[in-house]
Amino acid sequence: MSDALGTEFVGRKGPYFWLSLKTGVLTILTLGFYRFWMKTRLRRYMWSAIRPGGHPMEYLGTPLEKLLGFLVAVVFLAFYIGIVNLILMFASFSLFAGNGAAYGLSFVGILPIIFFAQYRARRYILARTRWRGIRFGLEPGAWGYAWRAALHWLVTIASVGILFPRQVFHLEKYRADRTFFGTQRLHQGGRWQMLFPAMKHLIIAVFLIAGSLLAGQNGDQVAFFSLPLGIGWLGYGAIYFRVESLRLLTDHKTLGDIRLQAAPRAGQVMKIYSVGYLIVYTVVGAGFFALFILLFAGFMAMIGSATQLDETFDIEMIQALSNTPVWLTTILTIMLYFTIFLMWNVLSQVFVGLPLAAHYAQTFSVLEQRHLTDVSQRPRDEFAEAEGFAEALDVGAAI
Amino acid sequence: MTETLVFGDLLDGARAFPRRVALSLDAPHLRLTPAEGDPLDWPVRALRSPPDQAHPTDLVLSLADDPVTRLVIRDRELAERIRATAPALHKRPPLQNTTRLIGWSVASVASVALIIFVLVPVMANQLAAFLPPSGEKALGDTTFEQIRSALDDSGFDPVPICESPDGSAALAKMEARLTENLELPYPLTVRVLDHEMINAFALPGGYVVLFDGLLDVAEDPDEIAAVFAHEIGHVVARDPSRMALRSAGSIGVLGLLFGDFAGGAVVLLLAERLIQASYSQEAEMNADIFASETLAQAGISPLGLARIFERFQELGGDQPTFMDHFMAHPDLMSRIERAQDTHTHADVTPSLNAAEWQALKTICD
Repeated sequence: MSDALGTEFVGRKGPYFWLSLKTGVLTILTLGFYRFWMKTRLRRYMWSAIRPGGHPMEYLGTPLEKLLGFLVAVVFLAFYIGIVNLILMFASFSLFAGNGAAYGLSFVGILPIIFFAQYRARRYILARTRWRGIRFGLEPGAWGYAWRAALHWLVTIASVGILFPRQVFHLEKYRADRTFFGTQRLHQGGRWQMLFPAMKHLIIAVFLIAGSLLAGQNGDQVAFFSLPLGIGWLGYGAIYFRVESLRLLTDHKTLGDIRLQAAPRAGQVMKIYSVGYLIVYTVVGAGFFALFILLFAGFMAMIGSATQLDETFDIEMIQALSNTPVWLTTILTIMLYFTIFLMWNVLSQVFVGLPLAAHYAQTFSVLEQRHLTDVSQRPRDEFAEAEGFAEALDVGAAI
Repeated sequence: MTETLVFGDLLDGARAFPRRVALSLDAPHLRLTPAEGDPLDWPVRALRSPPDQAHPTDLVLSLADDPVTRLVIRDRELAERIRATAPALHKRPPLQNTTRLIGWSVASVASVALIIFVLVPVMANQLAAFLPPSGEKALGDTTFEQIRSALDDSGFDPVPICESPDGSAALAKMEARLTENLELPYPLTVRVLDHEMINAFALPGGYVVLFDGLLDVAEDPDEIAAVFAHEIGHVVARDPSRMALRSAGSIGVLGLLFGDFAGGAVVLLLAERLIQASYSQEAEMNADIFASETLAQAGISPLGLARIFERFQELGGDQPTFMDHFMAHPDLMSRIERAQDTHTHADVTPSLNAAEWQALKTICD
């Protein structure tokens, strides 16, 4: 008898579409403040759709604690961002006579806080996730994560990306080794070198692109064909690395005597991305086109009625048209912008986010599950700040 | 009872192990009978179910005062009956932390207001004075090129600069008359842009920029001299540098507050616009006072100031075409009155002679 628990996924496009559309409209109508409710509801749906062993995951975060956490973060970050940006702008123009340095410095200055925020957001999400009634958890350690992440990035950049797998492995190990399911601590095994093979498509792509550029400089026609191929390959290589590294890292995770197993396929993920975004682009594009036709028809109708009245069509009519009050055109433009933005978000959630979650869930299983009986409850992590910093900085708090 | 037994999974919230329980709904209780041990009676009115669940028929139940225990019911028929009988299935738990929430809301609004309206402006004012001239010039150069590109609405080239030799000479003469008694932090860079907008502005590092549209509507050189002096007022007060530093600080904070709910860009631009306009009120007033004093010192009639404002109004100060100008220039009438008050019948000469005025007007041809 196999001692493995498979995972089922019961999310559906229809209900998820309406949920994200409804919450998206409310978010726009409330100038963004409903986003805490939106995020909570979407997560609740997504978590409950993922059912390892037939028991749904449960998300227990609340919108108000997110709002509170966001407000706390604003109090601190407003000061930091306002003053630091101003000083950097000043310093950059006084010392370097240009603003490029200011943008660069401002980004570098915020990086450790971004890593910090990402860890805190993960801690919050895990603390509010339950399966079989048992809480997950992540030990405090955000500052340790922040400086490690900063150093790893430096090393990766210095090694022109070759040591990227090392960074991915060690940062994941830092997080995983501090993760709990109930009383049981998760452990990340394996070595960082095991992620090297996952880089193969990225390396092929880099050689292809470099070769094409070289060939192009020598006037070789083959570059016209090989350069696009190389760029496409780079996209696939990035997906391949993400999927493969996730698979390898998961397969080397243990929860006491329990083992985890993931079998996502890069080809399938690539397909979800391409088909999903093709649908999103087509629908949004079609919407745009319909709007354009409508405006054009309206314009032609105006000219048509003018000619019927035996008025000559002249430049004044265009001017009359361009005298439409500014506030009206502004409101129309803003509404159009929001509509496109909303449709884009909702559709990519439904056609990319949901299928991806389904694929990752359905290929995930828990081995040696009989040891789950050893796992018991952990105390609640109050953590009132929630994911406020990540939310405010717009990093890592996505659903 | 002849009814077939219905089971559910009870997750007691203590161990990660589901217990199979037989279920029977017998109002006012839902009875849970485990294989061993005593049955549990859950009051139907205390049953709760989490919202936004993905599964179309399965029912997850909890009890009102128990945060961890869950019961998963897969039997459709029983789930339907519970949905129909439980009176408060979707009742929300009471709000917690309301006082903390209100406290932090007030604190965050206060800190953002403090930063945007007090700290950033004060620091910008202080720092602008310490910005070395070369830095200000660099800031101005960057902004000037950005504006030239932004104003161009059709082609790919930035808006051209007008510099016919006679026109430039006339402009230089006007500049010399206006600045001879002034202590400037750096020499002025005066440019005319070939654009129909009726406007003029100053940029950091001594830039004064006039639009061809302004030269077209002006009927005598003193009107241009008045606008020119007004913009020099901004340069001397270092308003443009302050504005640049200030927006660097406040844009980031506003972005933080509104988040990325829709790219944030639109709201950000509108809010930033408001802040700049309110900033401008005081600075504009000072620039007007500076302009009338400078014109008087240079022996040019300050009435030019009044006339050019009247001109703006005749052209329809409330028309949307001039919105860009008037959003940054408040309350024209009171400014005209102020300019007329300062008029004295001292010796004044036109700022340019007729030939020079013609050359300036045709600087873009």
